[in-house]
Amino acid sequence: MMTGKLHMMMFDRLASLNACRIAGKSVTPIVLGAALALSACSSVPVEERSDVRDRYEGANRKVFAFNMGVDSYVLEPVAGAYRDTVPDGAQTAVNNHLRWASLPSTTVNSTLQGKFENAALATLHFLVNGLTLGFADLAADEEEQISKEDFGQTLASWNVPEGSYHMVPVLGPRTTRSLGGTVVDFALNPLSVFGTGDVVQTVNAAQAPVGAVSFRAQNFDAINDVKYNSLDPYARTRSVYYQSRQGLLEDRVARGTASAVSEDEFDSLFEEEIN
Amino acid sequence: MFRRQMMAIMIASLTLFPLTSYADARVTAASALVDKMISDLETFLATDTGEESFRTAEIDRVLNTYFDMESITRFSAGQYWRAANGEQKTEYGSLFREVLCGTIVRNFDQLQGLAYTADAATAKGDKFVIVSGTFTDTADQRPAVKVNWRVLTREGTAPKVFDIEIENLSLLITQKQENVAVIRKNKGEFVALINAMKDRLENPLHNDS
Repeated sequence: MMTGKLHMMMFDRLASLNACRIAGKSVTPIVLGAALALSACSSVPVEERSDVRDRYEGANRKVFAFNMGVDSYVLEPVAGAYRDTVPDGAQTAVNNHLRWASLPSTTVNSTLQGKFENAALATLHFLVNGLTLGFADLAADEEEQISKEDFGQTLASWNVPEGSYHMVPVLGPRTTRSLGGTVVDFALNPLSVFGTGDVVQTVNAAQAPVGAVSFRAQNFDAINDVKYNSLDPYARTRSVYYQSRQGLLEDRVARGTASAVSEDEFDSLFEEEIN
Repeated sequence: MFRRQMMAIMIASLTLFPLTSYADARVTAASALVDKMISDLETFLATDTGEESFRTAEIDRVLNTYFDMESITRFSAGQYWRAANGEQKTEYGSLFREVLCGTIVRNFDQLQGLAYTADAATAKGDKFVIVSGTFTDTADQRPAVKVNWRVLTREGTAPKVFDIEIENLSLLITQKQENVAVIRKNKGEFVALINAMKDRLENPLHNDS
């Protein structure tokens, strides 16, 4: 149970989230550039990779170690204090706001993928909850769930190849395709488009670090379990990222109605019995 | 012409009926297994003393009763299972079980205060049935969590749980990919996985915050 929570942790959100929040806008292009530069210089031969999809494993593992350092020295202690001291109601309000801020991206990307019902639902929630800048979820009673859509998913629906696996400084795991999508999604933050007043700018600037802390706090035990008890936290993170991403691409994660796991994965179990 | 078509439909129906009925039986058996396991776990949680030894013994019993540990162990080592010798397989099986029990015991308190609701069950191919359900926090402090129990249903053997997918993330595939990564990083040496597991069991880094 808990292990699953742990999985939801780094991945479901680390993967699909605007983890850009951590870095802040001005830093994001530098981070993305650094990731691509690192990746470009160090392709690992297939037989030396721990997963064939991980072409830049050597560089990725170094970035992962850096990210774990950031977590140990900054995020983990701050998130621990946030979890223990901030009242539950305030934490919920922050989560609501962060979810609200991602709705324009969901609207645009749902439209681009032809998911018009989801786009309409996201727009409705965005407008209604916009009255409180998203801090209160005024449409919480709605039964229909909004399926989060990002530009990486849109690119996948246009059959853009997935590309390689990258561990991006501060942002976490991405495929080349989802990394490209992250840049576009980042531009769709409503406050970056409409925000001009002092209050709006302050809220906007705070989104990145607060989002990172909130996410870490919500998944505190789960992330620690991966970090401290895995045989290979890097490999575990990669595995969950790919599974989570696959579930999102097949629209299974939000609805939770079917197994997102490919049946091919289990063939080896029976090959052993046949041979 | 009409008669021939009717005959074809009847033959097809008679041929397919046993298959449908067998699939239904598998789904029913798998759902019953999960229901029984949940009921057993609820009893266990209600009588939990908080002692680690008690929890470990109970979890070991649950694993033996409801899970296909032999298949799980084999699958979790991926293609490298074949390369391992008999002694390594035995040692790995024992360590794998110890790691698994340790993980559950470590996170055991998270199970408290959860209520389970069964959802649908669906046959997947001719060997698996996915039994879906939802865990909800009775205190409403944590979001609901969707769970799929992947049950192995083979003719002539009792159904057993093979994998747990939480929010569509497979715990077994995650473990397998991690294990394979450890072996591949060590030039395909199966013993490297055994050593890594021993090391982790003997020197846990920390956590338990």
